[in-house]
Amino acid sequence: MEQTTIRFTLNDRPITHAAMPYRTLLEVLRDDLGLTGSKEGCGTGDCGACTLLLDGKPVTSCLVLAAEADGRKVTTVEGLAKDGKLTPVQVAFIRYGGLQCGICTSGFIVAAHALLESNKTPSEADVRAAIGGNLCRCTGYDKIVRAILAAAYDEGELVDESASMPVMEKPLFTEGPM
Amino acid sequence: MTAELTIVGKPMPRVDARDKVTGKAVFGVDVQLPGMLAMKVLGSAYAHAEIVSIDTSRARKLPGVVAVITGDDLPHNVELNFGSRGHSFLAKHKAFFYGQPVAAVAAVDIHTAEEALKYIDVKYRPLPILLDPLEAMKPDAPLIQHMGEGASEMSMHNADVAEDDEDHTEELDKEDIGDSDIREAAELASEAQAEAAPRNVASHIVFKQGDVAKGFAESDVVIENTYRLAQVHQGYLELQNATANWDAVNQQLTLWVSTQAQFYERQHAAEVLGLPIHKVKVITPEVGGGFGAKFGLVAPLVGLMSMKAGRPVQHIYTRHEELQASNPAPASVITIKTGCKKDGTLTAIEAKVVVDTGAYSGSPMSIICIMLAAPYKFPNIFIDGYEVLTNKQSVAAYRAPGGPNSSFAIEQQIDIMANEVGMSALEFRLLNGSEEGYTRPDGTPQPKIGLRAVLNALARHPIWKEPLGPNQGRGLAIGGWGGGRGPASAIVKLEGDGTFEVVVGTVDLTGTNTSFAQIAAEVLGLPISKIHVTRLDTETAPFGPAAGGSQVTYSMGVAVIEAAKDARSQVLKVAAKEFDTTEDDIVLDEVGLRSQSKPDKKLSWPQFQETTSGWTAKYAPVLGRGSVERRKGAPGYAACVADVEVDPLTGYVKILRVVAAQDVGKAINRMSVEGQLQGGTVQGIGLALWEEIMYGADGRVRNASLLDYRKATPRDLPLIDAVIVEQASDDGPFGAKIVGEPSIIPPAGALANAVAAATGKRIFELPLTAERIARAMGRVQEYDAMTTTAPTLTPDPSPIRGEGRGRNGRNGHGRTNGKVKTTNGRASRKATARKAR
Ligand code: FES
Ligand code: FES
Repeated sequence: MEQTTIRFTLNDRPITHAAMPYRTLLEVLRDDLGLTGSKEGCGTGDCGACTLLLDGKPVTSCLVLAAEADGRKVTTVEGLAKDGKLTPVQVAFIRYGGLQCGICTSGFIVAAHALLESNKTPSEADVRAAIGGNLCRCTGYDKIVRAILAAAYDEGELVDESASMPVMEKPLFTEGPM
Repeated sequence: MTAELTIVGKPMPRVDARDKVTGKAVFGVDVQLPGMLAMKVLGSAYAHAEIVSIDTSRARKLPGVVAVITGDDLPHNVELNFGSRGHSFLAKHKAFFYGQPVAAVAAVDIHTAEEALKYIDVKYRPLPILLDPLEAMKPDAPLIQHMGEGASEMSMHNADVAEDDEDHTEELDKEDIGDSDIREAAELASEAQAEAAPRNVASHIVFKQGDVAKGFAESDVVIENTYRLAQVHQGYLELQNATANWDAVNQQLTLWVSTQAQFYERQHAAEVLGLPIHKVKVITPEVGGGFGAKFGLVAPLVGLMSMKAGRPVQHIYTRHEELQASNPAPASVITIKTGCKKDGTLTAIEAKVVVDTGAYSGSPMSIICIMLAAPYKFPNIFIDGYEVLTNKQSVAAYRAPGGPNSSFAIEQQIDIMANEVGMSALEFRLLNGSEEGYTRPDGTPQPKIGLRAVLNALARHPIWKEPLGPNQGRGLAIGGWGGGRGPASAIVKLEGDGTFEVVVGTVDLTGTNTSFAQIAAEVLGLPISKIHVTRLDTETAPFGPAAGGSQVTYSMGVAVIEAAKDARSQVLKVAAKEFDTTEDDIVLDEVGLRSQSKPDKKLSWPQFQETTSGWTAKYAPVLGRGSVERRKGAPGYAACVADVEVDPLTGYVKILRVVAAQDVGKAINRMSVEGQLQGGTVQGIGLALWEEIMYGADGRVRNASLLDYRKATPRDLPLIDAVIVEQASDDGPFGAKIVGEPSIIPPAGALANAVAAATGKRIFELPLTAERIARAMGRVQEYDAMTTTAPTLTPDPSPIRGEGRGRNGRNGHGRTNGKVKTTNGRASRKATARKAR
């Protein structure tokens, strides 16, 4: 089998990459391109941990072949914050405790971004529907729902005040592409 | 420590949140090493079989395959205990559950490794399969026999309780249980065994107090029912994984493990791989949920593979493997009889508890027994518990292990009795709820618990005023949990810019590092921005206990207080000398330190640092040390009220409102404590309404995907109202108690009681599926839905006798057949951690 060459826009940067045609977008992003923010929780489209935006629409990237991204625009959780400044959704998740272990968080944040793109005034039911394909085992969803509603309605207040927030150092063991 | 708390008790965002919302945080699954190989495991094709031969030659020839290992590659310098799952990380001679690892491949990529599995030829001789623990106990049931255990040995165990004392001393925790009843319990159990001689019993325990016959004779109401719970998965979203790198030159193994307990992981890997402990180093990346399941399941096999392959190796489970062959929470069958008087006073409890531990011992059987009776004042108790082997993946802990099993049973019994005597659910529990000093089933006195405070707080909640419509019902249930208690150690050191670095070796699952930052800031009298918390690996971190038993904040929090106090006093001593003043004249703030009485005496933090760590420093570096013995224990009690609406046609349960209350002693971080209560409650709701690992007659899991194994989704739930009750503990940090586990316990009972209130029908089996409810309501004529059990297959003759000497029973490891376990819940829980993995 031959590798196929894929040209796409990844977090606003053009990229050309060769991969075997059977490999998923999730696998290529994580293993080849070092973008490990999207997670694999099931590999079968049932947990939403691998959610990213393909041409602005949320998809479970474990079910998308890398080759399908050819000519398209891919946005992962790593591409949301601009110049280190977090989006209101990200700030809301931090401030309202919308994450615990954090393994599901990228998927929820991406799904929330997609929702708020199309619906500026979501109800609680709208929020729950938009994240309906995302599983979280830690939070019971309560604070995730509240964070997304806050991001919709208090957007102005949710500016990134990173300076006052202690940030965990990157773990010491990271080797290889991150 | 200041009297008025300024930072502890406030809601604080997690210190790691920024990394987690941006995708930067590195989890175990994200670890990448140069030259790293991918590993795949070939699982047994039978739930019970003799492994006749394994031919790996074709797989080895596949381009890209670097190493293939089987049971023959297990270390030869280790005497492995085949009755212990933790030792049997690769099957040898026999496989005991479907999907149990029999061979593993390391290859250049995951696809090659997966392909190579097809070229491994394993010849099996199938053995009879036991899936129903009650069937497995029958006198004519075939034996599930690990290598080295003879049939005669099994009957011996029934009689050798007295000789077993040496083993027990390891498992027993004398201080906890008061050993007076042990001998008696052992004798009782021994008699019971002699009479019935149930087969495949891995452990047996009896708890006895007073005289149940007398208690029931005095009762006006006696209720007896049998309750069943399914096997459920802990459901952590980060798949089990480990990465290993073997350094052949230094004979050193480095492991990156998604674990709850790095020091345990190091010790376990060293033990089963035959390495000195100091030659194993465990690094814990961020952990994407554990809930009791991440203790030594994966690392040994990956370590062994790296030793064979000579390259770094990574193994990540698939979700299918998670559901088929990991270590979930046990199914159980609990038959329980309880009595009370007309005025509601409890008289007696008698129960037979059968816990399906799967293919290896390690279930929380004795905890289930204790927790059946511990929350209430039962004057007469007889509880007979059996841990039974079956051919399923063996079980491990799941958040308050066994708590939901007990609570689902006892909380319905309590509800039924309250109804019978015409008392409200709340009244009846307030009347009979246990309190300090009352004797628990294991003979120990109940410590200070907040059950009453929790019930009183709930009583004031507006949910009781919400009107209920047709087909709607309200249910209440309670649950308590003992939890862990240390020991722990921490370091607090001063960095150049005045940041205080808190160094711990505990894994942060629930936001504990954030709580440590709050605690250190409070003690040092500095803003939280001056605190940084780091978790180091087993080589560099001071010892930290497992992130299990809800103990991390409770025990390590005290070590952090001690370390911060130590650091602060060192700072004050130096400053007092420098400023020529007294220590209480010194003020610390964001910028530095100053003297209150001498305004010209001040130092910025970098200037101060110069005096203790600079080239010409006069004073010793600031290094605060906190090392504390284990705590006394601070059980957490929780309660849940749930309102549901049951569709009268389909039995579908819609959750209308949920209130979860818990006594946490002191909420160090209100936001994360609320999050714990909400998360635990929803896990409890999940196992109550939907979750069940379903086995086919061949021992294969029929719903091994997240599509079919139904977890709670955002759409199933309302917001969860968390009520925090604070009744300070004696020895937790700022009065904190254990927090993480209790909230998972009550929801199953609360929902079952709510469904009963809504429909008038009691459901005695979890999950409370629509089918079961519709059937109870008479809506379904024929019920042929899935069950966890299946008939025994026709036996193949003569189960193979293992070779080698059994070393079961030594060191408390995996004695599996017929042993009478005379131990209490806590001690057994420790044994669980040691044995099961
Ligand atoms: S990994 Fe893609 S949906 Fe679960
Ligand atoms: S925060 Fe752990 S799975 Fe969602």
